[in-house]
Amino acid sequence: MATALCAATSLFSAYGQSEVIRPVLSSYCLEVGGKSLTQTYLSPLKYSGLTLALDYERMQAMRFNSEKWVMKLDGRLSYDSGLNPAGNARMYDISLRLGWSMAHRWRLSKGFTVLAGGNTSITCGADYSPRNSNNPVAAKGAWTVGATGSLVWNGKFGRLPVCIRYQATLPVTGCFFCPEYGELYYEIYLGNRKGLAHGAWLGNYFNLDNLATIDLRFGNTILRAGYRCDVFSSKANDIVSRSTSHTFVLGIVSEWISIGTKKLDVSDAKIISALY
Amino acid sequence: MKKGWRHTCATIAFALASSAGLSGCHSVDSWDNDYYGNFDALWTILDEHYCFFEDKDVDWEQIGQKYRSEIDTEWDNRMFFDHCAAMLAELKDGHTNLISWFDVSYYNKWWSDYPQNFNLRLIEESYLDFNYSSGSGFIYKYLEDRNVGYARYASFTSGVSDSFVDMMLLTMKEADGLVLDIRDNGGGDVTNVEKLVSHFINERILGGYITHKTGPGHNEFSEPYAFYIDPASDHVRWLKPVIVLTNRSTFSAANNFVAVMRNLPNVIIMGATTGGGAGMPFSSELPCGWGVRFSASPLYDSNMVLTENGIPPTPGAEVDLDPELALNGIDTMLEEAIKVLNEFAEQNKQPEDTDVRSVLAKKE
Repeated sequence: MATALCAATSLFSAYGQSEVIRPVLSSYCLEVGGKSLTQTYLSPLKYSGLTLALDYERMQAMRFNSEKWVMKLDGRLSYDSGLNPAGNARMYDISLRLGWSMAHRWRLSKGFTVLAGGNTSITCGADYSPRNSNNPVAAKGAWTVGATGSLVWNGKFGRLPVCIRYQATLPVTGCFFCPEYGELYYEIYLGNRKGLAHGAWLGNYFNLDNLATIDLRFGNTILRAGYRCDVFSSKANDIVSRSTSHTFVLGIVSEWISIGTKKLDVSDAKIISALY
Repeated sequence: MKKGWRHTCATIAFALASSAGLSGCHSVDSWDNDYYGNFDALWTILDEHYCFFEDKDVDWEQIGQKYRSEIDTEWDNRMFFDHCAAMLAELKDGHTNLISWFDVSYYNKWWSDYPQNFNLRLIEESYLDFNYSSGSGFIYKYLEDRNVGYARYASFTSGVSDSFVDMMLLTMKEADGLVLDIRDNGGGDVTNVEKLVSHFINERILGGYITHKTGPGHNEFSEPYAFYIDPASDHVRWLKPVIVLTNRSTFSAANNFVAVMRNLPNVIIMGATTGGGAGMPFSSELPCGWGVRFSASPLYDSNMVLTENGIPPTPGAEVDLDPELALNGIDTMLEEAIKVLNEFAEQNKQPEDTDVRSVLAKKE
């Protein structure tokens, strides 16, 4: 049985060059910022307020052609609480997004790297307006397939190794949930499931997730800071859902390798990081 | 390599440009936060979501023009609120309210123009002797001297507990029948309707139909969706005669309950026409922060009849509360219900005939 062992990047130098070692890059981040939200099933007004999110990201070079292909798993749990323009009613939003991406990597000159590929993700959650009577909740659910791209620069500020990244993810197609215009969830509860699932395309389901980060390596510790701008807009059955969030990102990153029980020949190992 | 790099940059640039362009396609109405803006928001929300314009023959366009032209920017908030409330009252809908921090508007003529036909104190004092069981929104007692059970359910907002209803019905098992008093029951949670009805049926029944708006047009509605109610399996089911007492304040979910119960052969609806309220309400709000509630999703009975304007009693079971006899401790509606149940029991010592309405037919 294999056992997992976390090791700092500096330990990788112990391995040699013939075997390819693909360290896993994991990051845990907290996001804080502001968000505006309009969900016309609940209210025609725009709500604005605080947003909090927890992110997890796991990147690793692929087993095949490790230099050229990178995969990523990511999860984001967000919570928003906003006020209406008059400031006398709140709307809450909770959302979970799980995604998987695979991207081709082009290493350019002067430390620049470009990644481009595909992404699939599942999103679920709900908007909740406590002031409403029979329509207090608008549930969210979507499965999407889209494109993702990143521009990465690895270099140094003085003696400090840094990695600057801009990443954009854009769903292109898929399907999403939306009740009919004036349909109560009670009717869905009674069994009427007609017209709830909708095919997604850029014209009715748009979600551009922009993320810019800087990773600062202090010895074996990697600190991540950044900014995320998430723009979302969907329209189905004359129900519009729109949101824009701007958040600051702060977290830690670790790179680790999984070592099996087999004896490694580390004399010739080659380390291929997913990002650095 | 160079080709791939250019392609990737182009993709990112396209994505960024799209974020501004495509998301802007999904426009949302917006209004200024002044009297005209709030009025327009209120009128538009109703125009696009309210479900009974055609059934009530309301010319909303004309009403909107009339009330908008009367707005005076010198008004204070109270006057503007009253003006908007007056416009909503044109819908003659008990489910339509304007909600501000200083008042909530109600259209109340659906009950205020009718006799109340109910006095709780009279029941508690003269029939229950202030000694009854309660819970789950009910008060009940087996009136042994009259050999009927009496249960009052005050509001469908109170959750119906199956085990509680089991105990209540078991307590009355020796009775000739049950008087279920839902006078002054203003409604609540419609899921409680299904739950309560399930204790009075022995097989699956058609509960009715529900529709909803599929778009902002006045006539954009979905196909009616039939919903069914199953018996409360593993629970006590009352198949003896039932008389449901109603008045004009029997409204909304309570009205829906009557719409289902009146089709059962062992049930008489007795008293006065119910208040209606067959449109399940939606909520929305105005830029100034006021809330608005309105009928949005119509419910029809099992014959596809809209009960928005109320449900009359079973023919022959129209009874009012006599105020003078009430002073002497007599609820004429409850008395009539007890009398019908006793008569039916007397005529059917072996009650194969479960159609309690036969008593009313014989009277006629």
